[in-house]
Amino acid sequence: MAHDDEHDPKTKRSHYPLNPNGYQILDEIGRGCSAIVYKALCTTTSTVVAIKSIDLDRSTTGDFDNIRREAKTMSLLSHPNVLKAHCSFTVGPRLWVVMPFMSAGSLQSIMASSFPNGISENCISIILKETLMGLCYLHDQGHLHRDIKAGNILMDSNGSIKLADFGVSASVYETSSRCLNLNEITGTPYWMAPEVIHSHNGYSYKADIWSFGITALELAHGRPPLSHLPFSESLVMKITRGMRFSEYQKEEEKGKKSKLSKYFKEMVGLCLEQDPCRRPTAAKLLKHYLFKNCKGCDFLVKNLLHGLPSVEFRFKETKVQRSGSMSKEHEDEDDDDEEEGLIGSNVKKHRRISGWNFSLDACQHGPVFPLVDSISGPSTNTSCGDEETAKQVAFSGESVVSENEGSSRSNVTDGSEGEVCIGGGSCVDKEVVMGSLMTLKRSLDDQREKVIYMLAVVGAEETSGGGGEFGGKEEKLMQVIEKLKLELENEKRKRTSLEMELEFLKLNITNTSDV
Amino acid sequence: MPFPKIQQRERERGKFSVCLLSTIHSFIQISFIHSAAKQSIAMKGLFKSKPKTPVDLVRQTRDLLIYADCNPDSRESKREEKFATLSKLLRELKQILYGNSEAEPVSEACAQLTQEFFKENTFRLLIVCLPKLNLEARKDATQIVANLQRQQVQSRLIACDYLEANIDLMDILVSGYEDPDMALHYGAMLRECIRHQTVARYVLESEHMKKFFDYIQLPNFDIAADAAATFKELLTRHKSTVAEFLSKNYDWFFAEYNSKLLESPNYITRRQAIKLLGDILLDRSNSAVMTRYASSRDNLRILMNLLRESSKSIQIEAFHVFKLFAANQNKPADIIGILVANRSKLLRLFADFKPDKEDEQFEADKAQVVREIAGLEPREN
Repeated sequence: MAHDDEHDPKTKRSHYPLNPNGYQILDEIGRGCSAIVYKALCTTTSTVVAIKSIDLDRSTTGDFDNIRREAKTMSLLSHPNVLKAHCSFTVGPRLWVVMPFMSAGSLQSIMASSFPNGISENCISIILKETLMGLCYLHDQGHLHRDIKAGNILMDSNGSIKLADFGVSASVYETSSRCLNLNEITGTPYWMAPEVIHSHNGYSYKADIWSFGITALELAHGRPPLSHLPFSESLVMKITRGMRFSEYQKEEEKGKKSKLSKYFKEMVGLCLEQDPCRRPTAAKLLKHYLFKNCKGCDFLVKNLLHGLPSVEFRFKETKVQRSGSMSKEHEDEDDDDEEEGLIGSNVKKHRRISGWNFSLDACQHGPVFPLVDSISGPSTNTSCGDEETAKQVAFSGESVVSENEGSSRSNVTDGSEGEVCIGGGSCVDKEVVMGSLMTLKRSLDDQREKVIYMLAVVGAEETSGGGGEFGGKEEKLMQVIEKLKLELENEKRKRTSLEMELEFLKLNITNTSDV
Repeated sequence: MPFPKIQQRERERGKFSVCLLSTIHSFIQISFIHSAAKQSIAMKGLFKSKPKTPVDLVRQTRDLLIYADCNPDSRESKREEKFATLSKLLRELKQILYGNSEAEPVSEACAQLTQEFFKENTFRLLIVCLPKLNLEARKDATQIVANLQRQQVQSRLIACDYLEANIDLMDILVSGYEDPDMALHYGAMLRECIRHQTVARYVLESEHMKKFFDYIQLPNFDIAADAAATFKELLTRHKSTVAEFLSKNYDWFFAEYNSKLLESPNYITRRQAIKLLGDILLDRSNSAVMTRYASSRDNLRILMNLLRESSKSIQIEAFHVFKLFAANQNKPADIIGILVANRSKLLRLFADFKPDKEDEQFEADKAQVVREIAGLEPREN
């Protein structure tokens, strides 16, 4: 199926700016695991666009092969029913993908806002037909969509339909996006074909057809089948029992008189064949009777878009709703984050290394040390620069310990437990823990020396100072000494606790080596 | 082989009938001619009951490519007609090579097609004329070129022989990165061609290699990422060639690599570059280069700065290179000096340095690096 509608052999790239300055962000209209979607104004062309901003730092594979392929796919596709990217470029650690703005948003969000119980069959057949033409093109080009659902079918103000979000990085226009912890499996469970969930022979075009069938039901009922069950159970159901369409149909008919035509049910039935080989191809499905006498896209405008709130408004609405109903879940997540923050990022914040010392012979690459410590001001010279930072770190480390002794200790013991579990096989973890403990101990020693040195300096000043203002100065100095003493106390405490840990670890080590 | 000769005659007859028809109906609209031509093919099929062979298709494609090549921008319907036929032919060739939803590719047909493709200059014409084709035809052509690289004729990769004799084609493909409209097509073709070691060697040793440092940072992400993928392929696929290239070109290559890539203001560039550097240096075949790299204080400085990046991913990748400096058993004095001068900070950094996923190998490496650094004695010289 060649698309000769563009006879111009020069398929030029569209001239959208390749830096963020060319765009004015208007509103947030979607949010996924690692991506945010904005509505924006392209200032040079004065067109409204959608920008998907993907956080690349969260992608753990180094060479971005998936993202590269998706970007490539999106810029080489050209079909009226497939969402194409105008351009893409990086902004710091984020990738911006600039796409046409589909002002009516996704079918999922249209239903959530105006048609909670599904939309009429006349409209559905138009939507499905347009979607299927896009899918047909994708399959023809050798691409799988892998995530067909109402949330990825977009509509413009003129009723035109586009299939979006091929590739798997994040969902666009998805209002009910939740992060899934299904590492290898892509797609969204309710829409997923059984063979995708439990297969070893991989994903084929026919899995897209299954999802297409589920999407048809989703459009008819406002939600996908089995969606009253949590994700995992819907997966189990599909695998163990198989989702027989006929059964589903029976159940539906029990509930209420079916409003769907027999052609519609037949079409869905074809898509939901358990055996992928027996499902029709997209091209074949397009010839189904259901799609014979479809009305045009203006029918959709009349019937679906009337009185529909804007995409950005709907996004805000659902955000508010979700923050109400899912607040508990969110709290849990936040807690997790906070805990991590305390152990991980907080410490990291304090311990972020400010600069390296490359000054071997003559400070060729001048070291950069932030000299925050006012007390130690006069004593700072190049020779003890290193000690300085060590001290600073130890101080901040101390504050973490005293405020949060429990957590940091549990952190250490966790480490040692892990090590016990790993057992005698490798002494790796022991050494890491030992190493870090030794490091801490060394920095403590450094700091003690420092304090002693400071005391000596103070003492010297004390004797040399003398005279009239002695009293006032003495008081100040006494305060400083008090402070330093306190710090010293803290240090000592910390040290003893570390020594205890060390003992404990040694014990563990001997235990495991005995084993 | 008498077989092709028969085909030839048949082809000429077919052509003749088309010509005849078109002269007869020259006063009628083009679309009508087209359907008439189709009809004549169908009729021929009816009488001879022989579908067009792969060889036929390739020859017809070549004729049309020659036409496309030497008729620049004559905007007429005849031309459009020819381009439409060309697109269709390319689609057919692709289907022979890849099969379709109903049939798997037939190896005999693939071999015939491949042989004919490389017999004359069809391959070159296709590459040269690519910018004149429409998007769908370009994509088909790219897939054809990709597939041809792997086709064996009498257990020989004849694509390789052809490219060796026509190595200047690589110049067109590499320069494709400078044309945003062609970059992704030529880039994909290039990556397929450098599967052949000799072709990869040519590109590595050409002046083009320097341009990749800029291509990788082109503003269009899809193009930059494609160039990065090609760059990586060039520097990792053929071990012996890469090792030879790196040792011959060590100075300029790593100077560029450090300053343009590892110290780039662009996050993606840094991240991809540090990952690739690790892949290159940790490859056993590059051990000589690795030793040299890990003995330079300037390199160490860059790596240590990457260790302090706020991005965890960059830090982790930087560690995999940094460990080479620490593990080197013949560390130069200045390296030892830097490591000793920064010992406490390094150990502190490593104390809570961990990838998000648990990684035993990483922990083992880290333990060794910590041990190594903790045990360093500053050497007086």
